[in-house]
Amino acid sequence: MPTTRPSLGKYLVGMVASLIIFLAGGWLILAPFALGYQPYGADWVSQTTNNFATGIPVAIVALVAFAFFFASLLGALRAAGVLAARKQPEQAQAAFQPQTPISLVPAPAQSDLDRTLSTLAAALAADLSARREAGCNQAGDQLIEQSVTRRVS
Amino acid sequence: MQIGDAMRRLVPPGSLVLFLFFLTGIWLTLSPFAMTTQPSGQPWIASTINTVMLGGVLMVISLLGILAYMVLVLRDLMRETQAKEEAKMN
Repeated sequence: MPTTRPSLGKYLVGMVASLIIFLAGGWLILAPFALGYQPYGADWVSQTTNNFATGIPVAIVALVAFAFFFASLLGALRAAGVLAARKQPEQAQAAFQPQTPISLVPAPAQSDLDRTLSTLAAALAADLSARREAGCNQAGDQLIEQSVTRRVS
Repeated sequence: MQIGDAMRRLVPPGSLVLFLFFLTGIWLTLSPFAMTTQPSGQPWIASTINTVMLGGVLMVISLLGILAYMVLVLRDLMRETQAKEEAKMN
């Protein structure tokens, strides 16, 4: 696939234009008081109302436009590999899930405590099975002895 | 690349907002006369000068922003096409 240099100038142009317009909106709000055509303490004159009604939306929308261009800039930087790409939701879920059941975890991944516990459990299981076998043998011997004594008697 | 895709790249949401600012600049420039806050035949009062100047700034900045963005996107599109053709040749 052909690779081209990512150009970020277009996003910066949009961001700068939005920033200047944001400042213009702010000045529109302040101008009636700064230039003195709004008498102090009196009702707002029509110029003041018009400047406010225009300046507030201009400032807010300029911020939104700045956010749009900034988001596009971040997207371009991610696409170029400058910023790390966001994790997809499926990948994020997979990261939280245990990869394999505990019994299948290979030995190198286990901690010392896990290894000690598994060794202890294996020893206990071997001891139990040995006792069961011994118990079965003893019971079998007793049964044989009883049957022999009955036949003799 | 289809024309629709190219247009989407040339006119992003941010440029549409800049166009709204252009319309706002037109309104600001006209408003002192539309609202008759500027007396007819008299020298411009402070509010008229301020509003008309800000309207002009808004119009110029938004138009420059839209045009500059378009020019830079067009340059990128041309570079991408050129790179694709070079890759095909190789």
